[in-house]
Amino acid sequence: MDRIAALVLSELTLILRNRTLLTSVLIVPLALGVFLTFSQIDSPTYVVAMQVVFALGMGVYVGGTQTLVARRQTRVLKRFRTSGISDGGLLVGTVGPAAVLALGQLVLFGLFDVVAGLPAPGAPLALPLAVLGGLALVTTAALATAIVTPSAERAQITTLPLFFVVVASAVIVAVVPADGWPDLLALLPGGAIGALSRIAYGAPWTPYALVSLVVWPVLFGWLAARNFRWDARLAAV
Amino acid sequence: MTPTPTGGPRPPGTVVAMTETVSEPAVTGAGGRDTAVRVRGLRVRYGTFEAVRGVDLEVPRGEVFALLGTNGAGKTTTLEVLEGFQRRSGGEVSVLGLDPGTQRAALRARMGIQLQEGGFVEELTVRETLELWGKLAVRPDRPDRLLERFDLVHRRDVRVGALSGGEKRRLDLATAVWGSPELVVLDEPTTGLDPGSRRRTWDAIQELQEGGRTVVLTTHYLEEAEALADRVAIMHEGRLAVSGTLEQILASRPAGFSATLPDGVTPPDGVALDGRTLRVSTTDLQRDLTAFLAWAAERGVRLSDLRAAPASLADIYHSIRTDSDTRSTREEA
Repeated sequence: MDRIAALVLSELTLILRNRTLLTSVLIVPLALGVFLTFSQIDSPTYVVAMQVVFALGMGVYVGGTQTLVARRQTRVLKRFRTSGISDGGLLVGTVGPAAVLALGQLVLFGLFDVVAGLPAPGAPLALPLAVLGGLALVTTAALATAIVTPSAERAQITTLPLFFVVVASAVIVAVVPADGWPDLLALLPGGAIGALSRIAYGAPWTPYALVSLVVWPVLFGWLAARNFRWDARLAAV
Repeated sequence: MTPTPTGGPRPPGTVVAMTETVSEPAVTGAGGRDTAVRVRGLRVRYGTFEAVRGVDLEVPRGEVFALLGTNGAGKTTTLEVLEGFQRRSGGEVSVLGLDPGTQRAALRARMGIQLQEGGFVEELTVRETLELWGKLAVRPDRPDRLLERFDLVHRRDVRVGALSGGEKRRLDLATAVWGSPELVVLDEPTTGLDPGSRRRTWDAIQELQEGGRTVVLTTHYLEEAEALADRVAIMHEGRLAVSGTLEQILASRPAGFSATLPDGVTPPDGVALDGRTLRVSTTDLQRDLTAFLAWAAERGVRLSDLRAAPASLADIYHSIRTDSDTRSTREEA
């Protein structure tokens, strides 16, 4: 744990030193979240779902993919694998800081929402579940997307499709009435975040949200475990 | 003195072509517990391309082993298998008694690695890099000691991205020798270094050896292998062309002598002239040179530019490349 903590602290320092990363991981999601709080939108499920999906999607998915690819292409991952840190610890230490910042932003958004007079959720436990499930989704998706991303700059492009799917699914499921086939949209990546936001504000529990919460991280995690590259050099077969 | 084709046992006095390659590796070394690295029949494949094609290596503990070769010869791939970073498609590998393919975690606690390039976060300072390394490493050491040892004290607060190439390689070496590991693997440790930095790196490698550590390094520099290594192997196109101690390798190769003959003088039977220069390769330098000098004395021939020298690593290295080029040309034809 000491090694992971040391790496997390070091990566946090680097985020603060790198303006591009600081903007995508912290400033843009923070600004969007605060804007949503004070936008006078009268749908709390929409506001909460957007805040969760932007903090996790931009901060952890896009930022995490950028960091993983940058560390791989500059052979930092390879060098660190020669130290005492485990492979799992190395990944946690590399993506962890973006996750810590995203969780910090979500705590701030919660406080702002209370101050702005957003109604309190009736089933508040659904929100931490949305955040944890969303975190599992974006972290494993970052690992999987890093496989097909040749450079940190290209991460801005390779993350776009899934980022839009996650945002769109979360928003649509959060605002479309849960009845009949639209319920199936919760099965899309990010759909569970929208569904759980709605559940937090009184909608009935849907099994699709729970299935989506588990299936996508398992799928992306499996892809990453099979194909993740630690080094810019080709891997032998 | 009759030039003979390559291959087969050669009696003393037999002259052979300078481009001959002894294909059988002269691998020696103790096995078992005294062996740091043991490789048998290593093969590594990238898709349809086979980068390493049946390599045998043995590095006794406490020795410096240099792997020479051209770009793309398979040196780095071989090292990566020893480090546990590449899968092998065939063969057996034992490093400090462990299989790097399945026991990398146990191995890395006992091994220090210098990558061929990169591996640093450029936004961290030198001091931050070593402090972070200290927290991640298994073996304890002090950043200050290494800053001083590798002449980086005055650069400790400089970001790694602003270091010169030589300073980065020194920082790289500092992390590789961190905590004085049993085995240090260095991939081209002095490439791009100025003579002063190269000297410091050589000193560090010799210190490791004096401390009983085993060092495996790759290099393009023949003089580096000659200066540092107890054992040398030359790799070419995925195979070991030659391997053994420097003495064994040099002894397996013909020595040579050359002289310029005056105009109108015919050389001894079977020896060709290059212009007016006579060049002879021989496995018995003393005997053939004596015979040649006697021949010149009998005819009153005055030899200018007379030179005699044993085979050098450079001769062997170039002969391996030339042989391969000749073979390729023949195959293409």
